[in-house]
Amino acid sequence: MVQTTWKAIAPVPTSQEFLDIVLSRTTRKTPTVIRSGFKISRIRAFYLRKVKFTQDTFTEKLQAILDGFPKLQDIHPFHKDLMNTLYDADHFRIALGQLSTAKHLIEQVCRDYVRLIKYAQSLFQCKQLKRAALGRMATITRRLKDPLLYLEQVRQHLGRLPGIDPNTRTLLICGYPNVGKSSFLRSITRADVDVQPYAFTTKSLFVGHFDYKYLRFQAIDTPGILDHPLEEMNTIEMQSITAIAHLKSVILYFMDLSEQCGYSVAAQVQLFHSIKPLFANKIVFVVVNKIDVVKPEDLDVESQKLIQTMLQGGDVEMLQLSCHTEQGISEVKNKACERLLAARVEQKLKTNRATDILNRIHVARPIGGVTREAFIPDAVKEKAKYDVNDPNRRKLEKDIEAEEGGAGVYNINLKKNYMLDNDEWKFDKIPEIFDGKNVYDFIDPDIESKLAALEAEEERLEAEGFYDEEESIEDDEEADIRVKADFIREQKQLIRNASRSKKALKNRAVIPRQKMPKNMSEMKNSLEKIGLDASSVLDRARSKSRGRSAAGRSRAGSEMGGDVEMRDISMHDISQMTLKERAKSRARSQSNRREDGVTDEGARTKAEKIAKLNQKKMNRMARQGEADRHVSAALPKHLFSGKRTIGKTNRR
Amino acid sequence: MRIETCYFCSHPVYPSKGITFVRNDAKAFRFCRSKCHKNFKMKRNPRKLKWTKAFRKSANKEMVVDSTLSFAARRNVPTRYSRDLVATTLKAMQRVSEIQTRRERAFYKQRMSGNAANRRAADRKLVEENQHMLPEVRARLQQQAELSDVEETIQEEAIAVAIPARQRQAKRQVQAGDAMDIE
Repeated sequence: MVQTTWKAIAPVPTSQEFLDIVLSRTTRKTPTVIRSGFKISRIRAFYLRKVKFTQDTFTEKLQAILDGFPKLQDIHPFHKDLMNTLYDADHFRIALGQLSTAKHLIEQVCRDYVRLIKYAQSLFQCKQLKRAALGRMATITRRLKDPLLYLEQVRQHLGRLPGIDPNTRTLLICGYPNVGKSSFLRSITRADVDVQPYAFTTKSLFVGHFDYKYLRFQAIDTPGILDHPLEEMNTIEMQSITAIAHLKSVILYFMDLSEQCGYSVAAQVQLFHSIKPLFANKIVFVVVNKIDVVKPEDLDVESQKLIQTMLQGGDVEMLQLSCHTEQGISEVKNKACERLLAARVEQKLKTNRATDILNRIHVARPIGGVTREAFIPDAVKEKAKYDVNDPNRRKLEKDIEAEEGGAGVYNINLKKNYMLDNDEWKFDKIPEIFDGKNVYDFIDPDIESKLAALEAEEERLEAEGFYDEEESIEDDEEADIRVKADFIREQKQLIRNASRSKKALKNRAVIPRQKMPKNMSEMKNSLEKIGLDASSVLDRARSKSRGRSAAGRSRAGSEMGGDVEMRDISMHDISQMTLKERAKSRARSQSNRREDGVTDEGARTKAEKIAKLNQKKMNRMARQGEADRHVSAALPKHLFSGKRTIGKTNRR
Repeated sequence: MRIETCYFCSHPVYPSKGITFVRNDAKAFRFCRSKCHKNFKMKRNPRKLKWTKAFRKSANKEMVVDSTLSFAARRNVPTRYSRDLVATTLKAMQRVSEIQTRRERAFYKQRMSGNAANRRAADRKLVEENQHMLPEVRARLQQQAELSDVEETIQEEAIAVAIPARQRQAKRQVQAGDAMDIE
């Protein structure tokens, strides 16, 4: 790809700046401290390095400038000619040549002084040699003042040149000054070109881009050309000539028949003829501008004849437009683009690449040249064309909607389009759920045959006795056993419940069953429940139990002896007396537990022995009591596990 | 609208009931209630939970192989609506469910058939081991007692007389009110 724009050339410094850059770089990047006491080889190396480094930097910088600028022999002829007209190719080449020469000179200076420094005897000598070397290099650089300035200007101008691609689709607009070339560019592209009512408003090439058929086109506006020999043309005109000569494009030669531009029709026709040699192998259009003022038909016969001379040869076409009224602009543009595209395609087809592609394309055809036409059903062919004004026209869904109340009210009925065996069924409500089942799961075209098969199976099973209920009638003995077993189970459950409720005592003292008091009524009930007669047992128990009255009697008798002392106490405080008496009598009524149930001294000792013996086992087992000292847990887990809030105890 | 079945317990889920979970591979799981949903989230296997149909089916507690069960199926061939077909289908559905319940009952009977003998054997064993708990043993004793009623009263009086006076006195001191010891 040949370069077409040079917007990124590095700035070219002036000679003084150039010198500053190189020398400061040398001081920055090389060692600066040296002493006369150092070894001479070290001193020499120090200065050699300085000189060589400076030379390297010079070469590098100069080479960078040389590489940044385009080489005239490498670029497209259009750009080459354009640069020639704008910057003068000789001047440009000489400037670059001077830079190159300077580079060589500096290299030579470096070589000479390196050789000298190698034999220097002292630090002072080395230093002087270095100074001389750098001084000479600086002198060479200072001589580059003019070329550097010139190159900087060229760089700035190159950067601002429009990016013209010589190979792309291009419309080239040319003609006398002030005939409306820039107006046309403005009207077909987005380019913001200056349009003024005087000649040579456009002093250089301008580019605008536009799209046609999804392809990018560039339109180039050229400065006006006057009709005089090529040698007399100025730089501005030469740019136009360069563009016309070198770009493969459609040439739009603009004319102003109204002569408002200040040039006669004859002059304009003359110019066309004089630059005609440049139009060889190009598509040329003569575009008549300002037709809102004068049209070609309105001209006098002489001028018309002149114009006809332009169109001779047949390959030049005349188009008309008016930038002022925008009449015919797009027609001109489209026509030009069409012709350009056709020409480019034609040109491409001539190359080998096109034939390569064409060879690869294969279109299959029916064997034997049979023609296969598209099948169109008769119904479609006979269908009457829909016409809004026809009273017998087809009724569309839209019409129905309008009849039924319009959009938002009418609800489209899709059921009417159902394709069913019977049209009456269209609006049936289909059950979805039946007896807790999905109806759709059962819908099956051959359900009847399946059901018949099931019925047959059912009959077979019934015949086989699959459903026979074997009522096993249990005999009397079995029934008896069952009743008994049920009874036993119930009883067991009752026992279980009773013992469970007994366990509900939990921590309270357990009274031995023998010592539990039982009511006579309870005993009677339970005996009767078992089926025993309780009367005899109850009679016996009653006869043995002590009656209330008897107990009272005995108590009264015992009091007789004990109350003697009480009589001696003064009787005035009767209430106090009665209280005390009552307390005493209560104390007396509680029998001495040591003596109770003991007949004589022998029985007593015996009872005590038995008591001790009973206690012995208990003492030996050493059961824990609540009076004993008790530590529930040495290290209660909840107090010693887990991390502390402070963040210690990291052993866990 | 259709009645779905719960993914977990196979209970029917009516429209608007339950909750649906759609996995990121687009498989939809319908649950009849939060219990099933929670169990699913806990990654429990419905085959191992006794309360699910999956368990009952895998443990042979329900009829699994039967021709009536093949009637309801998801057919992936669309059938065009026909009034006659739907009418016969509805009738067939009723008949099929009738037969199905009958067969399920037969299945249940079959499943429970061995239990009667086991129960009888267990009853016999229980009665044999727990004869003493039966009221009829006591009734027999009572009958015997009634026969020798007269003798007994005489005996009783004799016992009453035979109890020594001193012993009687001691007992009186211990006992309080109506309460007495019985064994």
